[in-house]
Amino acid sequence: MKLTAPMPLKLVALVLGTTAFYMYLGQIVPQKEVHPPPPVLISAEMTTEELIQVGLELANGRGICMDCHNDVRAPGFDGIGSRAGARIEGMSDIEYLAQSLYEPDAFLVPGFAQGMQKMNAPPISFSDDEMKAVIAWLQSQGGTATVTLDTDLGY
Amino acid sequence: MSRNKILFGIGVLAFVSVIVTVRLGGFLVDNEYRQPDRQAAAEEALGQAELTPRQQGIADEQAADEAEARALPYEEAEYRSVPFVGSRVTVWVLAQLHLLFAAFVLAVPLFAFIIEFIGYVKKEERYNKLAYEFTKLLSVSFSMTATFGAFLTFGLIILYPKFTNYLMHIFSPTFLPYVLLFFLEALFLYSYYYGWGKFGPKVHLFLGFMLNIVGTAIMFIANAWLTFMMSPGKREDVDGDGVPDFVSAVSESGALLSLRDAFFNFTWMPINIHRIIANVAFGGSIAAAYAAFRYLRAKTDEEKAHFDWMGYIGNFVAIIAFLPLPFAGYYLASEIYAYSQTMGIQMMGSTFSWLFVIQAALIGNLFLGANYYLWLGMGRIEGTVHFQKFIKWLLIAIALCFAVWATPRYAIASVSEIAAMGGNSHPQLAVLGQMSAKNTAVNILILSTYMSFLLYRRTGRLSLHPQKQLLTRAQAIVFSAAAALVIFFGIYGYQVDAATRVRFAIPQVYSVLAAMAVITIIDLPLYRNARQEGETHWGKMPAISQYALIFIALSFTWLMGLMGYVRSGLRQEWHVYGVVLDTSPDAYTPSLGFATQVVSVTVLIFFGLLGVVFWLSSLGGKKDYEPKSAAELEGGQAA
Repeated sequence: MKLTAPMPLKLVALVLGTTAFYMYLGQIVPQKEVHPPPPVLISAEMTTEELIQVGLELANGRGICMDCHNDVRAPGFDGIGSRAGARIEGMSDIEYLAQSLYEPDAFLVPGFAQGMQKMNAPPISFSDDEMKAVIAWLQSQGGTATVTLDTDLGY
Repeated sequence: MSRNKILFGIGVLAFVSVIVTVRLGGFLVDNEYRQPDRQAAAEEALGQAELTPRQQGIADEQAADEAEARALPYEEAEYRSVPFVGSRVTVWVLAQLHLLFAAFVLAVPLFAFIIEFIGYVKKEERYNKLAYEFTKLLSVSFSMTATFGAFLTFGLIILYPKFTNYLMHIFSPTFLPYVLLFFLEALFLYSYYYGWGKFGPKVHLFLGFMLNIVGTAIMFIANAWLTFMMSPGKREDVDGDGVPDFVSAVSESGALLSLRDAFFNFTWMPINIHRIIANVAFGGSIAAAYAAFRYLRAKTDEEKAHFDWMGYIGNFVAIIAFLPLPFAGYYLASEIYAYSQTMGIQMMGSTFSWLFVIQAALIGNLFLGANYYLWLGMGRIEGTVHFQKFIKWLLIAIALCFAVWATPRYAIASVSEIAAMGGNSHPQLAVLGQMSAKNTAVNILILSTYMSFLLYRRTGRLSLHPQKQLLTRAQAIVFSAAAALVIFFGIYGYQVDAATRVRFAIPQVYSVLAAMAVITIIDLPLYRNARQEGETHWGKMPAISQYALIFIALSFTWLMGLMGYVRSGLRQEWHVYGVVLDTSPDAYTPSLGFATQVVSVTVLIFFGLLGVVFWLSSLGGKKDYEPKSAAELEGGQAA
């Protein structure tokens, strides 16, 4: 005996089945809710060691630095603290790192393209103090952090 | 289902409704508060009219509420919430439904006009009839679009009052032109539809042309509003250093600096181009689904032949528009990337990267469905045997490309599997997850589908061109060269740095587009006066081909919903990217799982409503109401 379903039933089954299949695909891929990064508080008394921690939070959070700085899209951060002072002649590590954050296209590491956004502009909008915290963390990657909240970055 | 069964069902439903209503009414009356029967008499006898404790309590509560309301200062609400579903999901679903109907309403006049024009040039009435059949779908869909547009507007005003007010502040000069254009759209649409056969052909074609111009202008205005939210400015080399600078259309506080820059913002034109092409593809697929629905319900051979042809044309329109769509999507994505690398990276390499695996599955299904329909379509033409041997090779090519495109770079794996692989990537398959492999797969997929079209076009026809062999070989060489170039750049992409690899997409795209153009140019004279070797039997398609058309329409709709999520989600916690921050409880990017649930519900609602549109449109083919004559009425009374 041949069983046949009426056309409207087949249509409903097709619509529900197809939709369910695509929805199922959406459920089996990795799930990630992205929440706005929590606000970072910087007080005037913070030491350089404390700034390093804040800088790490900012780089991982609002700065989304790690999405690119993986040696594929952009230079990685390993050893940046030791290289930064030698990148451009006559420029200290703090000056170089500050320029990289405020004017990313001013100097490009050979082999990498331009495109990084100014970190003090929207949507990242780091304040000057937050910039110092990020610089402190970058200095600490293979080098010694010397930046404080009193350092003049020249911007 | 028979009419008697439907009437019986309605009767049962009505009976149950009456019972439920009576029982509910009885319950409410039984539980209503009543004053004691003798209270009024007692109060009168005592000469006093004191309130009962309950009445006193109610009066006190009202007085307290009123005092509290008076004490509160007037405040503008920033956000309002919707119970259970939340304000974001409410606006999301309304916006998506509005967009789906709008896309359909904008697309159908475009190809109805082209089909009518072909009919006018070829002097063939069947084209005119087909164009009218497409246009019949517009009237109800237009009302649906307007209804959901109103829902969306009110939804935004009620749920996001402050942000909506901000957008109005920026774009208020565009509202009057928008409303006037909308009025003109209604005027041209209804005169185009109701004026069919009542105006001269040139006047009618002019109405169709104007309908398209006005519809496109409306879309361009609305696109400015939404793209401003993504890219509120432009990139221009202001300081002359050769590097484009970001020029915002608004100040840091959000004040408008340039309406021109806000309107013609960075992603405005890429979205316009992408939407026009996507609308035509989507509109064609929905019109084909309508034809499939009518084909499956058709009672006569004539009806079947007509709706089979309509389904074929609808699908043809959808696939022709679909072929360049990945290129338009690539252009849009690269422009987003150029505007904001942060947004670009969120899209392709971070938050939304897994979404593109689902997108690959959807697009792969669309290609498979479209090719399957074409291959089945060869069965309605006599003399198909020559070409059937190619189908298996095309199927293998499409399936392989589909598999490559859907292969993620990082596998979903358990801890033990990750340990066995030595990382998140499969040691061999991860190679296929990279950009070079994806670009190669999609280009070969497009070439294969184009080849299916070419085979279908040739089925049952014999070219009588004197240079037939030479031209056919030339086509084969062009096709092979394009495929070889695409594969070459795909493999070479692994040998170069990331920036160069990304740029390789351009020669791949151009070689495919050029190949399709050259082969088509050769094919037109080659088969212009071809001998028809076999007849085309319209209406002789298996039912499964019609379900394939509906499947294609479903996949298109779902794809549009998914891409709407990513386009909007790219803004992350911003209402207007980098300018107006979203501070509502929904200011986070939902997971893909949640997003696909919302998209699925939206698609189901849309198809439910589409069923109503199809049903109402099919009523247009029935006999018009005619008042009964006096004799008929008398006859009825006598009976």
